[in-house]
Amino acid sequence: MTDAATIRARFRDRAFVVDEAFATALQIMLALEKPLLIEGPAGVGKTESAKVLAEVLGTRLIRLQCYEGLDAMAALYEWNYPRQMLRARLSETAGSTLEEREAQIFSEQFLLRRPLLEAISQDRSPVLLIDEVDRADEAFEAFLLEILAEWQVTIPELGTIRATSKPHVILTSNRTRELSDALRRRCLFLWLPYPTLAQEIDILQARVPGLAERLAHQIASLMQVLRGLPLQKAPGVAESLDWALALMSLHRDHLDARALEQTLGCVLKVHEDHGVVHAHRAALEPILEGAPGTVESGGNGREADFGFGSVSTPSR
Amino acid sequence: MYPFASLPENLIAFGAILRRDHGFHIGPGELHDAARALEIVDLSDEQAVRHALRPILCGTPHDVAVFDRAFTDFMFPVPAGVPQDQMPAVRRAPESRADDREETFEPERRATPSDDADVMPDAGDGPIAPLEITDSDLEEAARLSRSSYSPLHADGEAPALRSAGNAWRDAARSLVRRLEIGLSRRWRPAHDGTRFDLRRTLRASLQTGGEALTPRWLRRPRRTPRFVLLVDGSRSMSAHALAALQVAVAMASITRRVEVFTFSTALQRVTGDVRRAAAGETRELESVQYAWGGGTSIGACLREFLRTFGERLVGRDTVVMIASDGLDVGEPDTLRGAMIELHRRSAGLVWLNPLLETAGYEPTARGMSAARPYITTFASVTDAASFVRLSRLVRVRV
Repeated sequence: MTDAATIRARFRDRAFVVDEAFATALQIMLALEKPLLIEGPAGVGKTESAKVLAEVLGTRLIRLQCYEGLDAMAALYEWNYPRQMLRARLSETAGSTLEEREAQIFSEQFLLRRPLLEAISQDRSPVLLIDEVDRADEAFEAFLLEILAEWQVTIPELGTIRATSKPHVILTSNRTRELSDALRRRCLFLWLPYPTLAQEIDILQARVPGLAERLAHQIASLMQVLRGLPLQKAPGVAESLDWALALMSLHRDHLDARALEQTLGCVLKVHEDHGVVHAHRAALEPILEGAPGTVESGGNGREADFGFGSVSTPSR
Repeated sequence: MYPFASLPENLIAFGAILRRDHGFHIGPGELHDAARALEIVDLSDEQAVRHALRPILCGTPHDVAVFDRAFTDFMFPVPAGVPQDQMPAVRRAPESRADDREETFEPERRATPSDDADVMPDAGDGPIAPLEITDSDLEEAARLSRSSYSPLHADGEAPALRSAGNAWRDAARSLVRRLEIGLSRRWRPAHDGTRFDLRRTLRASLQTGGEALTPRWLRRPRRTPRFVLLVDGSRSMSAHALAALQVAVAMASITRRVEVFTFSTALQRVTGDVRRAAAGETRELESVQYAWGGGTSIGACLREFLRTFGERLVGRDTVVMIASDGLDVGEPDTLRGAMIELHRRSAGLVWLNPLLETAGYEPTARGMSAARPYITTFASVTDAASFVRLSRLVRVRV
C-alpha cells in the first residue's frame, strides 16, 4: 500500500475511481503523515474518499462533522456531569478527603470522548475525517491547528494525552468561506474538480453496475454541458449517480427528451435552474438524439466537452 | 536538463520562483516535505513528480491553477528537441528576479478573483489556463487603451485612498456597533446568561465541598456583522465615489470583516488597498482598470460578484452596501435578478445613492426602480455627518 498505482487499484476494487493526482496525494499524505485538505465543488466525492481510504487501510473512520457553533467541548471531550453529580452525592458520607473525591470524579470513567480525542487514543492509526471544515467558525479553526500540529490534548483534570498513533487526517471544504493560511500551510492541498467526460463514464460504470454503455455516455455528456451552464447549483458526481440509478429504475437504456423531463429533478436542485436548462435546450438536443459524429458544438463555448464521439481527453 | 546541478538546489530555486512570481506561501517546511516526497515517487516519471509536488507546494485553488505552467516553465525552459549545448547554461539566480513591479502587484494578484472554481483547469496536464497578466507590456497597453476613452482618469490619475479621519472612524464604529444581526450559535459564559452551565457550576462546586452554591450561566453572544461594499466607479459617479471609498476605508479601520470592490464595466476586488489605506498609507488604486472610470453595468457586475465571491462573502451575517447612482446601461432584468439574490442571501442591502442629495430626486431611473424593492436602507453619504446619520438609519433583517 505504498505507491500510487496500488492505491488506485485498491480504491478501484471498492468502486471508487481516483485519478493519478489524487492517488499520489494520498500516497504522499500517508508517507509524510500530514493532513490532506481536499477542496472542490459539492458532490465530487470528497467525503466518500475518506470513507474508502479507511476501508482500504482496514482501519476505523472517525468523523467530525463541522457546523456553525461547533466548539472544543463538542469536538474533543466532555465530562459526564450527571454521573459526576450522582457520584459526588453518593460519596458525600464516605469520609474521603476533598482531593480524593475530586480525583475520583475527574477520572477517565467520567470522561466522554468526542471525535478528536477518540482519534488520538486509538491503538491503530484511524482515518480522521474533518468534514466541511469551512462551516465551523474561525475560532475553531485555530483550535484545530493546535491539535493537528501537536497531536496531544491537555485535559486540566487529567493531564496531557498524547497520540499513540497519529491519525490519517482528511479535511474537506466546500469553500463557503476562505480558510486561514495557517491551516492551509499545515495541510497538503488537493483540488478535486469535476471529473472529465471519460472519468465520469468510468465512475458511472464502476458505481452503477449494469448501466447501459450508451446511457452512461449520455449522462456524462449531459453533465459536462450542464456544468457549463450558468446554474445556481451545478450538479456533481453524486447527482449523476442518482440520475443513473433513477433511469435504471425506470428501465431506460437511453435518454430522450421525455426521460429527461421526468428525471431532471435528480440533477437540478434549484427551481430557477429548470428555466436555465430550458433556455439552453438546443445545447442538449444533440446528446438526446444520441448520434455520435453528427454533433456540433453548442452555443456555450464548451465544445471540448461536447460530442462524446469526438472528445479528446487530456492524456495522462 | 534542469537549471541547476543538484535536486535540492533545483527544488529551492523552484520554490523561490513560486514564492516570488506567483505569490505561493512556501517556507522551509514545505521544501523539506517536497524533498521527502521526491524520495518516495519515481523521479523518472514527470507526471508523478508533478502530482507529488502539487499538494505540498500549493495551498489554494489559485495556486493549483498556475502550478503546472510554472512547473513546465522551470523544468523545461526550452522546447523538447533542442540540443543540450544550446540550452541556457545556468538560470539567473531567483534573487535577481525581484523588481519594483512585483512589489506593487503581488498583494493584489493574490486577491484577484482568478481562484474561481469555474476556471479551474484539470488537476492533470492537458491545456493549461494562461497565467494572469504578468507581462508589464500588456499591463501598460491595457492602461493606455483605457485612458484613451476615460478622460477623467488618465495615466497616474487612479483614485487615491487616504486614511479616514476621526469623524469618519467614529461614524463607522457606531454603524458596526448599532447593527443587530442576531445571536451566534455558540455558547459563552456570561453572568446574565439564559442556559445553565453544568460544567462550570460543578467545577465551582468543588470549592464548596460539592455543594453547588454559585450557579454559572451561558449565553449566546451577538454575531459580529460582515460588510461587503460595492463601489460604482463609473464616470457618472466620479464626484461621489471617493466619498464611498472613504466609507470603505473608515469601516476597514474599525473591523477586519470588510470586503471592498469597485466596478464600472468590470468588477475588481480592492480590499487589500483599502486595508492598507486604513492602516495609514495613502494609496493609489492602480489595479482598478476596467472597474473605474468607464460606463456602468451594475447588473452584470453584481452578477459577476455573486458568481465569483457570493458563496464565500455573502451570508446571513453580511450587510451588502452598494454605492451607485443606479444609472445602469444593462438590462434591468439582470440587475433585478442580482438584487433578488443578494436580498435573499444577505442580512440587509444598503444602497448609497448620491443623487438623493439632489432636491426633488425620485429613484425612477430604470436601474434604480428595478433595484428599489430589494433595498432595506436607501441613503446617501457625502461627508462624515451623513455617515453618522446612516449609522442610525441602517436596519437589517434578523
